[in-house]
Amino acid sequence: MRIPFISMFMASPFEGLLEHAEKIKECTWAFQQAIECHITDQCESFEEFRKNVDIFESEADAIKRRIRGHLPKGTLMPVDKFELFRYLHEQDKVLDAVEEALDWISFRSEPGIPNALHKDFFLLVDAVLDPVEEMCRMVAEARKYFTNFSEKQRRLVKDIIHVLRQQEHEADKVEDEIKAKVMNMQIDPVTVFHMIRLAETIGSIADHSENAGDMMRAMMAR
Amino acid sequence: MAWNIGANDVANSMASAVGAKAITIRQAVFIAGILNVVGAVFIGSHVTNTIRKGIVSTEILADPQVALIGALSALLAAALWVSYATWKSLPVSTTHSIVGAMIGFGIMAGGFSVINWAKLAAVVMSWIISPVFSLVISFLMFKTIVRLILVKKDAFAKALRLSPVFIGLAAFVVVLSFLFKTPLGKTLSMDTWTALLVALILGGLVGFAGKAVIKKFTDSDEDDGTEQVFRKIQIGTSCYVALAQGANDVANAIGPLAVIYFLVNTGTVGSKVPVPAWLLLFGGIGIACGIGMAGHRVMETIGTKITTLTNTRGFAVDFAAASTVLLASKMGLPVSTTHAAVGGVLGVGLAGGIEAVNFRIVLQIMLYWVLTVPAAAVTSMIIFKILQLFY
Repeated sequence: MRIPFISMFMASPFEGLLEHAEKIKECTWAFQQAIECHITDQCESFEEFRKNVDIFESEADAIKRRIRGHLPKGTLMPVDKFELFRYLHEQDKVLDAVEEALDWISFRSEPGIPNALHKDFFLLVDAVLDPVEEMCRMVAEARKYFTNFSEKQRRLVKDIIHVLRQQEHEADKVEDEIKAKVMNMQIDPVTVFHMIRLAETIGSIADHSENAGDMMRAMMAR
Repeated sequence: MAWNIGANDVANSMASAVGAKAITIRQAVFIAGILNVVGAVFIGSHVTNTIRKGIVSTEILADPQVALIGALSALLAAALWVSYATWKSLPVSTTHSIVGAMIGFGIMAGGFSVINWAKLAAVVMSWIISPVFSLVISFLMFKTIVRLILVKKDAFAKALRLSPVFIGLAAFVVVLSFLFKTPLGKTLSMDTWTALLVALILGGLVGFAGKAVIKKFTDSDEDDGTEQVFRKIQIGTSCYVALAQGANDVANAIGPLAVIYFLVNTGTVGSKVPVPAWLLLFGGIGIACGIGMAGHRVMETIGTKITTLTNTRGFAVDFAAASTVLLASKMGLPVSTTHAAVGGVLGVGLAGGIEAVNFRIVLQIMLYWVLTVPAAAVTSMIIFKILQLFY
């Protein structure tokens, strides 16, 4: 038996949003390990890391469905429900990009990434991990903003979104460098295609983080 | 019946305070229990008259036999309905259950003519007015807090500077409702303007005293200094709601009981039934017991992941509920704290102050508000008939 008055209050979607973002962060760490493992060649456990990422992905999916499933019509929130779903969708795409990148590698695990590109891919992975961590911080700070509505907090979140944009831009630059380099290498066309597409997929992790930031900006609009 | 009131209504006064972590659940149960007893014993007595007399004409009570059966069936019917509602977790109003049950027995005993339809219309009006009014107040109150304090750079300093205004306003409402609503105020017999003046002065005094206390006990270094300020204020408003609830609701539980007691003792029913203090104490303790047992369930619900109110929100809700109850009583409407509290929460929700609140559940709540009177009336009729068979 519940107390009637309290049944008006329901689980906060922001709680879930934060949980989802944290899950993505963990997932990208596993992703980094998997990529490093793949590049360093002597590593046998790439498939294991990939499975780990898959597990994280399905856990995050469950959180996503829980958020969506627990907001019936007529829920009052400080933000528009449609915007919240759009945000969640964008945040989820970060995860999809992570999974897709690993899948793409597994489609052609031999001969792997050419030696000349190893350093660039390490750089790229590092560059896309920054915005994901920033996104996580953004969700936590935004939640605080929606409780205290303070101007200071609002500025803080806006600054984070700004940082997100810059980090995405940095990741873009690394991605473009890889693409230019690959195009000018005298290697077989299948490897070129494989590398270009891989760089693009990894790069899209940062793109989606930035998009999530833009959606957050929309949610905070007065 | 009293147990049910305690179990059903404890959430109204204390949920926002507990939810906002202003006090622990144990403290809440304790305070609410004590204040309910105090409210019931010291300021609860007169309400019994209004409820018993207002809607059903006293003429039919001339026959003690009928009155005895009627009061008994009304009490049983209301208790049954409130128990059912508590079981189904629906926030019905105990006031309205009693009103409905009285109507049912009135119709059975004297036909439709004994019912005071104008009074009944007022009850129906209160279903709409009290939540809407409370909603508007809490909406405006919360928006004001956001505008004047939260968005500012030095929110804590602003909150402290404006705290006398908020405390004063709350104290003003509290003093006014004591002067208008309770027999304590009636014995002082002030006219409206004197009462307003007294409340204004007392409100101002309490406001500045409150500021001094808050300043002393609140740590300005903390991140959520504003909430800390409102936490202190909210403890006060929650206590008031509990006190008013005890005063207001004890009549529901023991009103009919008082009639029976009086009948058994004297064999007649006057237009007014003096309620002995021990009966009020009995009712108050019943409510307190209900609170004590329901407290555990509140704890469970708070423990699970639900959105809780922060102190600024809690204050807005409490303030709106208290103001609504005061104003409605001044207009002579039998309102319930439940209605006012529900309206208050929705007001803050509409203002975007709560992470998630279910607006839709209100339709369901409304339905049961509307159903309460006829349901209690029909139950009361049936019980009346059954009892008549025996006597």
